[in-house]
Amino acid sequence: MSSTFSGDETAPFFGFLGAAAALVFSCMGAAYGTAKSGVGVASMGVMRPELVMKSIVPVVMAGVLGIYGLIIAVIISTGINPKAKSYYLFDGYAHLSSGLACGLAGLSAGMAIGIVGDAGVRATDQCGLPQIFSKSSNLSPTG
Amino acid sequence: MAGASSSWSRALMHISPYTFSAVGIAIAIGVSVLGAACVIFCEAVAIYGVIVAIILQTKLESVPASMMYEPDALRAGYAIFASGIIVGFANLVCGICVGIIGSSCALSDAQNSSLFVKILVIEIFGSALGLFGVIVGIIMSGQITWPTKAA
Repeated sequence: MSSTFSGDETAPFFGFLGAAAALVFSCMGAAYGTAKSGVGVASMGVMRPELVMKSIVPVVMAGVLGIYGLIIAVIISTGINPKAKSYYLFDGYAHLSSGLACGLAGLSAGMAIGIVGDAGVRATDQCGLPQIFSKSSNLSPTG
Repeated sequence: MAGASSSWSRALMHISPYTFSAVGIAIAIGVSVLGAACVIFCEAVAIYGVIVAIILQTKLESVPASMMYEPDALRAGYAIFASGIIVGFANLVCGICVGIIGSSCALSDAQNSSLFVKILVIEIFGSALGLFGVIVGIIMSGQITWPTKAA
């Protein structure tokens, strides 16, 4: 073992997997939200092209989920530095669980955004009012 | 020695870091190309996968056999593996998303030509997901430092 290393050798495996989980699952949620809302917007836009730009709100909110995952993944992966700070199995497991927490929360938020966004834009087509979105924006995911 | 704490640790420490590296690079490019097989607009994710696979592959260095299971070497192997998983699966979901939106864009553009540019804005948000994967993959590849031959 090199003299500048302290901590458990296999702990970085779990740490890096935590960073991977944070980004991959958040991107899955963001992709689902973007795709489902996007299909709704495209269907609605055939009848009402003027409302398309106002209906991009759920797509933007789904994209923000990907940014959350990116931030957590970068924080985790730059925190794994066994030379500067000892990295035990405890730290590895903590990073894994934080990455999974962020990622799976992002996945579920993205699925919710997709379903609500799709229904919302199709309702906007029926009623023709942007009021539907100011009410359903209260459902924005926090975490 | 820390490896005696659990049988998982002992198993992980006996897998060569080159195994993890090779699997990571293979996942980076293989799963990215799978994501690019979607219908329309998504060849960019395959390019992202190729770029990151090339970057990861240039970071592989030859380490003498006596130092292969050093903690630094193990960490480098895990970093390449995780980086490959990130890039591969982020590009896969990005490709699927962009493919679905692209097909609905084509359908709605057939009905009403003014919609093409507007739905393309949604496509851009979808493509950003693949870019996030590439960014994190490259940041993580900065962690890849193999033990040098000295000592």
